[in-house]
Amino acid sequence: MKEPKKLSRKGEKNTDSRMKNTLRTSDTTAHTAPAQPLSAEARPMQQQQRRNPPIAGELAAIAQAQGGDGSAFEVLYNMHKRRVYSLCLRMLGNVAEAEDLTQEAFLQLHRKISTFRGDSAFSTWLHRMAVNVVLMHLRKKGLPLVSLEETLEPSQEDGPRKDFGTRDLTLSGSIDRVTLERAVKELPPGYRMVFVLHDVEGYEHNEIAGMLRCSIGNSKSQLHKARMRLRNLLREDADGRAEA
Amino acid sequence: MTNTNNSRTPKECTEFQEQLPEFFDTGADLLDHPHLKDCENCSALVRDLEYIAAQAKLLLPIHDPSPQVWKNINNALNQNSRGRQPSNGDKTS
Repeated sequence: MKEPKKLSRKGEKNTDSRMKNTLRTSDTTAHTAPAQPLSAEARPMQQQQRRNPPIAGELAAIAQAQGGDGSAFEVLYNMHKRRVYSLCLRMLGNVAEAEDLTQEAFLQLHRKISTFRGDSAFSTWLHRMAVNVVLMHLRKKGLPLVSLEETLEPSQEDGPRKDFGTRDLTLSGSIDRVTLERAVKELPPGYRMVFVLHDVEGYEHNEIAGMLRCSIGNSKSQLHKARMRLRNLLREDADGRAEA
Repeated sequence: MTNTNNSRTPKECTEFQEQLPEFFDTGADLLDHPHLKDCENCSALVRDLEYIAAQAKLLLPIHDPSPQVWKNINNALNQNSRGRQPSNGDKTS
């Protein structure tokens, strides 16, 4: 592969214009993307835009990478590596596995980038590919993506509670990002998966149900239990800090 | 378990909390739900769960993969491209 080179601003603009002409827009071709990993059509476009805002120069880099330009592919890697890696890390909770699967996701991107037609935001398409890589990995390992134990026999702490009146501390304003990240990492894998996909990544329950091959009700139930478990973890953390 | 500052019965709280996943999913405005008018426990629960969901949306991707990840990708792509190059015997005039 050639040494990385910077894309010129002029070049970006020109290629962006070309891409706008060649890539189809979502409102005209919403159902014509058979080569994409899984369609994200069900997600409202506004939500996709909020979660995955366009990145300057991205269209140019996509067009050049589709033409086989290795340095443009590296530009795309640098644009998206943090988001893809963070997604893998949050889903897996393991640095080594997250790096391996980030690598696999980008290799898959390289193989499939010529099939990208712009039906959804590129980042939406890539992140969906990364989610599928993680899920495939977990299936190969024989790990259930939705734990039967978590589904059928929720522990007492995940079920409805009636004792919160004994403490008047509310979480609001008391948790920071690091604390929340740590608590998410402590969730059981099935809970963590649904929580990350829904609350962090913004997927809808019908999409998650499709990805995890479970019912929509199951996805909703797992999400609720995940939030309940997080509440307990975060309260314990807040209580510990208050006592210290 | 105690249920202080609360005129609601545990059974009512259980029934309300069992419906919470559906309430959250439909985006129902829970502020006006009759159960929350005088149940501090469930009000606190709803506030906390909404707060957690809101905070999760703000979690930004902050972790970078090590430089080795790109090196591995680059090596794999280079190997693939070498594997696809035709040998001399494959050349056509």
